Amino acid sequence: MRLPQYTLFRLLQLIPLVLVVIVINFVLIQLAPGDVAITLAGEDADPQYMEHIRRQYGLDSPVPVQLLRYLGQVIRGDLGASFRSREPVLHELMSRIPATLLLVVTSLIIAVFVGTWLGTLAARRPGSFFDIAANTVSIALYSVPLFWLGLMLILVFGVKLGWLPISGMRKIAGPREGIGYYLDVLKHMVLPVLTLSVAYMGQYVRLARSSVESVMNEDYITTVRAVGFPKRIIFMRYALRNALLPVVTVFGLQIGLALTGAVLTETVFTWPGLGRLVYEGILARDTPLIMGSYILMSVCVAIASLLTDLCYALLDPRVKL
Amino acid sequence: MKRIVGLTMVLAAALAFAQQGPLVVIQGAEPRTLSPDFAADTGGYGPTSNVYCHLVTMDWGVAAGTGAYGDLARSWEVNEDGTVYTFHLYEGVTWHDGMPVTAADVKFTFDTIIEKNYPYAAYLDGVVEVQAPDDYTVVLVLDQPNASLVPMMAQGSVWTGKIYPKHLWEDQDGFDSGPYVNDPVGCGPFEFVEWVRGSHVELKAYENYHRGAPAIPGLIFRAVTDANVARAEFDAGNIVFLPYDYAPPYAEAPLLERDPSIQVVHTPSHYSRDIQFNLRREPLNDIRVRQAIAYAIDREAISRLGFSGYWEPAYHANVNSQEPWINRNVSFPSFDAAKANQLLDEAGYPRGADGWRFSLSVTGPTYSDCRAIVEVLVQQLRAVGINAVWDQYDQATWFTNMQQGNFDISCYFTRYGPDPSAYDEHFSTGGPRNFMGYSNPELDQLAELGKRTTNEEERKRIYDRIQEILVEDLPYINLFNEEKMSLIRAGWQGFNIQETGYNKSMTWFGFYAVEPPSQ
Repeated sequence: MRLPQYTLFRLLQLIPLVLVVIVINFVLIQLAPGDVAITLAGEDADPQYMEHIRRQYGLDSPVPVQLLRYLGQVIRGDLGASFRSREPVLHELMSRIPATLLLVVTSLIIAVFVGTWLGTLAARRPGSFFDIAANTVSIALYSVPLFWLGLMLILVFGVKLGWLPISGMRKIAGPREGIGYYLDVLKHMVLPVLTLSVAYMGQYVRLARSSVESVMNEDYITTVRAVGFPKRIIFMRYALRNALLPVVTVFGLQIGLALTGAVLTETVFTWPGLGRLVYEGILARDTPLIMGSYILMSVCVAIASLLTDLCYALLDPRVKL
Repeated sequence: MKRIVGLTMVLAAALAFAQQGPLVVIQGAEPRTLSPDFAADTGGYGPTSNVYCHLVTMDWGVAAGTGAYGDLARSWEVNEDGTVYTFHLYEGVTWHDGMPVTAADVKFTFDTIIEKNYPYAAYLDGVVEVQAPDDYTVVLVLDQPNASLVPMMAQGSVWTGKIYPKHLWEDQDGFDSGPYVNDPVGCGPFEFVEWVRGSHVELKAYENYHRGAPAIPGLIFRAVTDANVARAEFDAGNIVFLPYDYAPPYAEAPLLERDPSIQVVHTPSHYSRDIQFNLRREPLNDIRVRQAIAYAIDREAISRLGFSGYWEPAYHANVNSQEPWINRNVSFPSFDAAKANQLLDEAGYPRGADGWRFSLSVTGPTYSDCRAIVEVLVQQLRAVGINAVWDQYDQATWFTNMQQGNFDISCYFTRYGPDPSAYDEHFSTGGPRNFMGYSNPELDQLAELGKRTTNEEERKRIYDRIQEILVEDLPYINLFNEEKMSLIRAGWQGFNIQETGYNKSMTWFGFYAVEPPSQ
């Protein structure tokens, strides 16, 4: 299959995927206990008013009817309006994406580069002190719960040392534009980015290390060694390129999950991103918002995995699309 | 030289005050909208309570006996048979756009609330007509006497029932649409500046506020979900007020009280913490089992373990802040494990071979105090052979379970004020907060009578009898007087949870009375 055809085919596959995501999640949300009318009208609201709210939001019809109505809406490109804020869901989601992307992509890039570099260094000196240390630390970091790590960083750098802001994306009374604004956001990014990237990094250290090590033991490496190429050339030209394939796969998957992956970090650091929006939406039983975010996330994961496959084809000539 | 030093000091003080930025207040959620009257909105109560004003309102002064005080209302009177309430408004009050606030605005707001059946309609119980005979008089006409009208209007105003400007809203179909939903124009002590979604809502002091401009230049409401992060912000000095929702564990209280830079504020309330029984279920429908459970509970131990002894046990069917209404002649049983065991044996629930008499679950709202109570309570029930387990849910699920009668025992927060008619919603047959399935015709009659009677002595007799019935029937067991612990930096005064803020905060969420430390 040619590249454009392959891409089109993969994009068409998105349609059934999104359908399945919608149906399963819609039903799951309905199964969850809790009544949106109570969260909207308040615990003391008049039963008549609750009934009015249920009617207003179409919650009085049977679940299959609600589902069909929702599907019809999505097909027309309308994700509906949030129960909570009454703003269009698409608008709500889009307004939060930049903050999440800023946080997650920065963290991922740091994690990939630093993690791969450390893993590669460790693989080149197997059994050395550096190798053991890198291994131990990366397993430890990978296992640490994000919210705990975030809180510890807050306690050390925010409270004890007072060097960095604790939460939010910018100083409320701070500058709104210009270099001052960017510096302010940068300062606010340090702790959440550190938390997220440290958590991601462990994975890349381990992955890069084992991948490089196994490639270095391949026959073709022994062959180029025998030919007499310098070590650096062997490593950079022949080993690293192959060793990086698994890293690309994991990176692709994580980029796809990027929009979802930061719920805990965003909640701890009060980062105004998508994760926190979804978290609040779930607590409020805001079905349109939750559904909208699930659709967005599944599309992102699918597109990221498509891009990963395309990258694979570029990196590895043996891979046929 | 002295003069120069003096002048410098004055200048420095003035400068420090000028630099005093807006007060940052943290809260659990972001607002849904900034229109408070059409729905519940925990994130909106803070901003809207400070932007809008109310006809009558109350704040934590309710714990010191103030049922209601006027905001727009200068005074009010009720006719002899208790069916016509006349409110006299302050003159010269203005909306933030400069227009005068008149009785027509109040009438417009209340008419809309009643017509649309918005949440505040429940607090205007019995109101059939709202009249505005002149610019500064509002008359509420009721179809039958309701002695609790004004205190209940004040209670409701804490969350909703804020007064809307008629000139800006009259063309809208209700309070949930139009340009002012998220761009509020009120007549409260602070004006709306901006709402940055996901970040904060900013207000600035309204210089022409009818009670005088606030002492702080503005307010910023930020949503912080995590209690640990909130505490870190407080410790780092980024916020001066750590509200009770983020309260540190009580075990820390003695330590915090020794820190001169912190005020540990304990605020009483008109709520209790108690347990409700699901009377539809066996064996809780057996009075002997409920009595046994009452004897099995050691409130002192719960207070010691869960609240470092700070929470005062409650043995009457009322709380301390409602002193005039407490019937001290009747009280719930106090701890006696032997008696509990004996009653359970008599009720036909002897210990089985595994040591258990029967199983049940204990649940509760997500409040940290209920968690503390349930954690110990479960152990106390197990000690008398009841195989109790703790069921935990998020708030919405817990509440739905309560409404559907899907629980055995739940920690609960019964309200006793600002008017004793509160018993009605908790204990009357089918009352909106009677989740227990409790029904006693005598109590139903008394609760109705209590609302319709205007004679205070007669009402006292009625509510005394209601408390007797409750202690006799045990549909619930009162455990504690609720108390809220908050932290404030030294020198700050007038926060709504401080006595210096009582009766002038403008609702539980109002910050009008806040004063920074003197320079």
